[in-house]
Amino acid sequence: MTAKALPRGKSRLRARSARGRPKGSGRGRKVLLWLAVIAIMIFCLFPFYWLINTSLKTGPDLSAANLVPPNPSLKNYDSIFSDANFITALRNSVIVASLTTFFALLFGSFAAYALARLRFRFKFVILAIVLSITTFPPIAIAAPLFKLWTDTGLYDTLLGLVPPYLTFSLPLTIYILASFFKEIPRELEEAALVDGATHFQAFYKVVLPLAAPGFVTAGLLAFIESWNQFLFAITLTSSPDARPVPAALAFFTGSQQFEVPLGTITAALVVITVPLVIVVLIFQKRIVAGLTAGAVKG
Amino acid sequence: MRITRVMSAALACVALAVAGCGGDDEESKSAKKVDPGAADKATGNVNWCIGKDTTGTFSKAVKEFSSKGQVKAKLIELPEAADQQRTQLVQRLRAKSSECDVLGMDVIWTAEFAAQDWLQDVSDVVAKRKDDFIPSTLETAKYEDKYWALPYNTNAGFVYYRTDQVKQPPDNWEDVYSEAEKGDGLVYQGARYEGLTVNFLELLYSAGGKALSDDGKTVEIDSPEAVEVLKFMADGVEQGAVPKANSTYKEEESRRAFESGKATFMRNWPYAYSLGKDSKIADDFDITTFPKFGEGEGAGVLGGYDVAISAYSKNPEGAAAFAEFLTSPDWQRTIMTEASLPSTLTATYDDPAVQKAFPFAEKLRTAVEQAQPRPVTPVYPQVSEAIFKTVHAALQGDMPPEEATKTMKSEIEKALQTF
Amino acid sequence: MEAATVARSRKRGSGLSERRLAAAMVSPSLIVIALVAAYPIGYAIWLSLHEYSVRVPGLSRWSGLKNYDTALSSTEFWEAFRNTFLFTGISVAIELVLGVAFALAMHRAFKGRAVLRATVLVPWAVLTFGSGLLWRSIFEPDLGFANSMLSALGLPGGEVVWLGQQGYAMAVMIFADVWKTAPFMALLILAGLQVIPDELYDAAKVDGASAWQRFIRITLPLLRPAILVALLFRTLDALRVFDLPFALTRGANGTNTLSLYAYEELTANRLVGLGSALSVLTFLIVMVVSFMYIRFVGGNIRGLADER
Repeated sequence: MTAKALPRGKSRLRARSARGRPKGSGRGRKVLLWLAVIAIMIFCLFPFYWLINTSLKTGPDLSAANLVPPNPSLKNYDSIFSDANFITALRNSVIVASLTTFFALLFGSFAAYALARLRFRFKFVILAIVLSITTFPPIAIAAPLFKLWTDTGLYDTLLGLVPPYLTFSLPLTIYILASFFKEIPRELEEAALVDGATHFQAFYKVVLPLAAPGFVTAGLLAFIESWNQFLFAITLTSSPDARPVPAALAFFTGSQQFEVPLGTITAALVVITVPLVIVVLIFQKRIVAGLTAGAVKG
Repeated sequence: MRITRVMSAALACVALAVAGCGGDDEESKSAKKVDPGAADKATGNVNWCIGKDTTGTFSKAVKEFSSKGQVKAKLIELPEAADQQRTQLVQRLRAKSSECDVLGMDVIWTAEFAAQDWLQDVSDVVAKRKDDFIPSTLETAKYEDKYWALPYNTNAGFVYYRTDQVKQPPDNWEDVYSEAEKGDGLVYQGARYEGLTVNFLELLYSAGGKALSDDGKTVEIDSPEAVEVLKFMADGVEQGAVPKANSTYKEEESRRAFESGKATFMRNWPYAYSLGKDSKIADDFDITTFPKFGEGEGAGVLGGYDVAISAYSKNPEGAAAFAEFLTSPDWQRTIMTEASLPSTLTATYDDPAVQKAFPFAEKLRTAVEQAQPRPVTPVYPQVSEAIFKTVHAALQGDMPPEEATKTMKSEIEKALQTF
Repeated sequence: MEAATVARSRKRGSGLSERRLAAAMVSPSLIVIALVAAYPIGYAIWLSLHEYSVRVPGLSRWSGLKNYDTALSSTEFWEAFRNTFLFTGISVAIELVLGVAFALAMHRAFKGRAVLRATVLVPWAVLTFGSGLLWRSIFEPDLGFANSMLSALGLPGGEVVWLGQQGYAMAVMIFADVWKTAPFMALLILAGLQVIPDELYDAAKVDGASAWQRFIRITLPLLRPAILVALLFRTLDALRVFDLPFALTRGANGTNTLSLYAYEELTANRLVGLGSALSVLTFLIVMVVSFMYIRFVGGNIRGLADER
């Protein structure tokens, strides 16, 4: 669409402007631009590189700030993978994030469709409520939830983590899905309705398949949001069996006796981050589209 | 059950309520008591929740105990720092979790945990062996005339020094600081946490000052001794006797700094001794008793850990058996020789193996016998916070000592009035 | 078109009417929100009006607004308030400027665009709490990378105990947040840049406008919607910051924030009444800022609810 048309137009423009200007400043601009690009890449990637770098160091190397590990070793990775608590934490995070994503997509798509397409009263109020969740400070909910969950037995369970995670993933999910639903031409649903389908059938037979890319985006973002949750993770769990990864990291005592757990913590972080980075890179177009859906149209 | 008992106790209190509810009789009736005989017939599993196993002896204890008897023990490691351990334990106890059977409790938590009915009454268990323990350590397990834990290890602060840099260890703090300034400095636990309270109180006690009156009701920290001590410590930082990084150090950080050769002096607990002997400065350091300050005698603050039984434990008998094992003469000797954790049993210090590992064993026992406790109150965490936050600010130069002591006094008074 | 649709839906007997269907479809989300957000907030307000004894288990009493009074008259609260707004103001400003700068670079760098976009997503993908731990290790005194590098390059600052000093600790926290979020802002703004038609720039060039003038008169105004949305979300996120100070300093040395302070009172000090009051106050503060923002700055949200 519009975005794709731009590059062609722009390169023609640049060629035109380069022709119309003295060569020096054109090249100067380009150099500056590439410098900026390189600076941005270093800025974004260096800490990540440092993370990997530190995870390959052991012992006294950890206290020295070498750019390349002098004695690279996979010992830290060995330690964390043989740490049952860490593996359990990974499993916990995956389970909770998956459950949350599933429900976020399910409930979110229903609500998004209603908001984007159906007519009813209080639409603006409901939208305001949903969006206002994004302004809630988690701490305001954490203590009451702690008490509630303790009394109902949901404390320290994976299931107990899903409701708060869901609440914080829903607004973005609804927002993204609603934007995608709005993109779909009304005529398709109209046609379905004429053919005798109910609104709900129009929803899941016509709209859902077309909005599939939106689901991928929203699902990814919901998953990442849940993965990142920290406050609820440390407040609503206490045993290794229910702890998700961020909480486990916070209380990482390290699997080695005398050494700073820095090596193991960074190894754990790499293990957690690399798959996420890979997924993000594969789906980068969708993610960006989803994040910017509202920003541009709004 | 537990909850209804506590609820009815609370309701009864509210009924009597206007004058406030000391309610001691109600509380002690609702606290479970552990029968000393039960430990012998115990079976099942128990979990031991205690801080990071920096020396490996915790895992060893669990293994050895499990191999000997009917009860299987498991170690659940909590974070390294005591205040984080407390937060973790408190969170579980408030949620009435049965995950921890045996709790590794810093001696300052006894009053707080016991007051909240989180511990089981072990007075009968203690009574059987009362004479085995060093008396000051037993005091740490006592609250309202009952015993709520078994003393597991004790601690008193010492000053470590580099023998290749200092010929004669100074016997007073003024000299320590001036030598440190000339040398590579003094490190201690200067981060914004409980450890700083300990370091400050040690100097305060050595100067003859006090934090609270003996009955725990009046605040006495706003005294000339306190101002003097605080000024002395702050000057030390400003003049370079103490490195700036010290304001982020806890026990392990200061130990590592000393072991990597960056400091001439270190104030730390005895545990660092055997670790130091395994490090690169093994032959270049020694330990000395707590220096004096001004006119007063060197006085340490009593530290250490007790082992208690959680009120929500599903296997109190097994827990009692494990606690007994941890405080048995054999195991107490092991923790002393292998982990440099001072034993709470008087006899351990006379053991030849212990005296070999701890050339200063006699001094250590004396230090423990004479150490003073930190203020005993169920709101100790807030009292301590009032102290360490203010001291930290004063040491950074953000608050003059006179103002700091006044702030400490008003904050502690507020804390003591906590509902 | 509208009337015809309405007529058609009335003709059908099967299936729920639009209104009922809408209610049914919206209700699962609303129920979750009511259960997990609305009810707990109400409960938090209830808790904040009581005092819960830390000496006697189970004992509590009504205290009305006393907790709020305690909170609002404590220096700690105002310090946390000041720190939070300072953090928010500075980090959002820097992220905005950097975001626009990155976006402009990404917009122009035709060849490397995909790679750049991928690179820019990397900070966003690192666990927030984890990134806090990472920065803490980089800024460790003496041996951390930052000090080693500064000393090796002969630059000032190699001696600073970053996380141990007021001001410096906040600087590290802001830096860590900027690292994680400026790229994200760049993406949001890039999308806005991409829909600005080239013809506008062409026309301006013909009229003799300089690059700077084109930026100020064309780019910025047209970027307004994107910038405003990004600003809103970032500001609200920054006001609620918790993970970073928890990882870096646990709130010491001038980095205590509203959320962290409330958390400490609730968990470490077990002052449920006071902690709840602090949580409610934090909630109200964030609400007020968001209302003010929406009121004075943007009506973008209505657009989503409008029928087309």
